[in-house]
Amino acid sequence: MKTRIALIAAAVAALGTAATTPVHAQDSSVTFEFETGATTGSVMVVLFSSQAGYDGNQPVAAMTVPAGRSPVTVTFDGLAPGSYGMKSFHDLNGDGEMNFNPFGMPIEPFAFSNNAVGNMGPASWERARFNVNGAVVQTITLR
Amino acid sequence: MIASRRSFLLGAAAMGSSVITPDVAEAARLLTAQDALATDWGLATRDLEGDIAPHRLTRIHGQAPAGLEGALYRNGPAKFRRPGGSAEHWFDGDGLIRKFSVSDREATLAARFADTPKRRQETRLDAMVMPGFGTPGDPRAEIGSPDDANAANTSVLRVGDDVWALWEAGSPMAMDAGTLETRGFVTLRDDLKGMPFLAHPRIEPDGRIWNLGLNGAQAIVWRLAADGTLEDARVLPLPRAAYLHDFTATARHLVIVLQPWVQVRRTMPFSAAFDWQAGTGTQVLVLDKDNLDNRRLFDLPDFGFFHLGDAWEERDGTIRFDVCAHADMRFAATGATEILNGVPLGGEPARLALAVLSPDGTARLERTAVVAEFPRSNPRLAGSARRFTLHTAGESPDRPFATAIGLHDWSTGQAHRYDFGPDHIVEEMVVVPKPGQGAEEAAWLVGPTINLRARATEFHVLDMARLSDGPVASWRSHTALPAGFHGIWAD
Repeated sequence: MKTRIALIAAAVAALGTAATTPVHAQDSSVTFEFETGATTGSVMVVLFSSQAGYDGNQPVAAMTVPAGRSPVTVTFDGLAPGSYGMKSFHDLNGDGEMNFNPFGMPIEPFAFSNNAVGNMGPASWERARFNVNGAVVQTITLR
Repeated sequence: MIASRRSFLLGAAAMGSSVITPDVAEAARLLTAQDALATDWGLATRDLEGDIAPHRLTRIHGQAPAGLEGALYRNGPAKFRRPGGSAEHWFDGDGLIRKFSVSDREATLAARFADTPKRRQETRLDAMVMPGFGTPGDPRAEIGSPDDANAANTSVLRVGDDVWALWEAGSPMAMDAGTLETRGFVTLRDDLKGMPFLAHPRIEPDGRIWNLGLNGAQAIVWRLAADGTLEDARVLPLPRAAYLHDFTATARHLVIVLQPWVQVRRTMPFSAAFDWQAGTGTQVLVLDKDNLDNRRLFDLPDFGFFHLGDAWEERDGTIRFDVCAHADMRFAATGATEILNGVPLGGEPARLALAVLSPDGTARLERTAVVAEFPRSNPRLAGSARRFTLHTAGESPDRPFATAIGLHDWSTGQAHRYDFGPDHIVEEMVVVPKPGQGAEEAAWLVGPTINLRARATEFHVLDMARLSDGPVASWRSHTALPAGFHGIWAD
C-alpha cells in the first residue's frame, strides 16, 4: 500500500518544477477554489489536457498562488474546450517542494480535480478528468 | 464441530466464493442446528449496526469490590459485512470502542464506533471496500493515505482526556474519554504525519509511552510523555522485514522480536505480502532506551506470534519475556478469515513460552504446554522482574476463542485457571492494582465474556490472588458485543 501511495507523492512532486503557461486562442476557462486548513505558503496547481500528459506529468499550464486568503482561487483561461485534469498541493512551508514523512507518505495537503481520490496511488485520469466548455468552476478540498 | 450454521451462512453469503475452500465448505456441511444452540460463537464476529448507548449493567453475581473505581476501555472490530461487499478477515472490521465503567459499585457499558474516513466511505457505499490485513479491497475504495484505510480497531491508549483508538498501520484516532466521541487522527509532529503507530505501546510505570511503527525493514521508535507529548522519534533499520504486531521492553531496553514471517512482496491484502521462512529462526533485536544505536541481536528458533508479555532484566543482565508462541502464522494468513465465516481453525493454539536472552549473547526459548493468548501483567511492574502472566486459555483446534483465563507463575511453574465454561467466550482481561497495595498479586482482573447461552456480554471482576475462585462480581448487558481485542484500565 505504502509504495503505491508514494506514487501520489512522485506525481505531485513534479508540480514544483512546472512553470509554463501556454496560451490557446480559445475562451474557455476553469477556476479552482481551494479550501485548505492553513494560510502559510502557497498552493501549487498544474493542469493537464490529456491522459498521456496527466499520467506522464506533462502539464499544459501551472500556477502557484499564495495561500493567505481562503478560498485560494486559481483560474486557467484561454483554454480550448475539451477534457482536462488537475493536480495540486499546498506547499505549507514554502520550500517549493512537496514534503514527505520518513516512510514516503505526503505530509502536505494535496488534491486532484473533481476532488478525486486514488486507490493506493494518485487519482486516475478516469477519476480526475472533467470537461471544459465555457467557464467551469470547481471547489477543491486540499487534504 | 461447534460453530453455528447461522453465522456460517451469514459469512458465506457475504464473503463470496474466494474464501470458500473445500475444507471450509466441508466444515459448514457438518454444522447442525443443535450445535448452533449449544455454542453459537458466531456472536463473536457479529455485526453491530450502530453505537451502544450508555446503560447500567445488571449485576448477576457477587458485589463490586470496594476501591475499584474507573473504566475498562476496550477496542475490537464490530462491523464486517455490508450488502455491497464485506471484510474477509477478522482484523478488518470497524473499530468499536467499549467503555465498561465501575463507580459506586455499579457497572455501566457504552460503546461507539470510531468515526473513521473508512467507515464514512463504506457507509456511503453500503459496502466494505477497504483493503486490510486479510481483505484485498475493492476498486471503488478511495485511498489517498494509509489513514483512509485505518480501521482504528485494535487497542486503546489513555492520553490526557482522550483515549486513542489504535490500529497498527496508521495514526492513532483520538476519542473523548468521557463520551467516546471521535476527535480525529493524531499527528504527533507535522513532519511525522501519517507515520504508523503500533497497537501495542509499552507504558512505563511512570506513564512514559514507547511505541514502534513499521515499514518493511524500517521502524520508527516513538517516545511520548504520559500526556501524549512527543519526546522523541527516530527511524531505525531492522535486520529483516518481519511482521510485527507487538514488541516489548524492560526498564532499560526495547526488545523487538522478528519472527520468520517476512514481507517479500508488495501486495494487498497485507498478510499476502509475507512468507513463512521456515528454518531461518526468530531474531530478537535489543536496543538501549538511552542510546538506540546500542544494538544487540539474539537468535531463537522459529516461532510465530502476535503477543508478547512485558520484559524484564535480571541483576546479571539476563533479559526475559513471555510470548504466546504459534508454530507458524497460518492463523494470521487464513485462520481469521475462517473465524469470520464461523468455521473452526483446525490449527494448534498458541502456547506460553519464556524467552531468555543471556548476557553472553546466547538465547533460548523455554516452551510450556499452557495454551495462552492475550498476555497481560501488573502494570506497576512493567519492565521489572515479575512472577505472573495473566492470559486467556481454553482455545482449541475446533474452537478458536477462549473459555478460561489463566495465571502462570513463572517462579513455580504453577498454572492457575478459572474456566467460564463452553457457554462463554473469554476476552482479554487486564490487571488492575489494588489501591495502596504493593504486592504483585494484590490486584483485580477485569474483563468481559460473551455468554453464548444468554446471548449477552458480561463483565467480570476477579481477585488475582484467588483467581480459581472465579469472579467476585459479574454483570450482564442486554446485548452481545462482538469479541474485542485489547483494552486498558483507567482510574
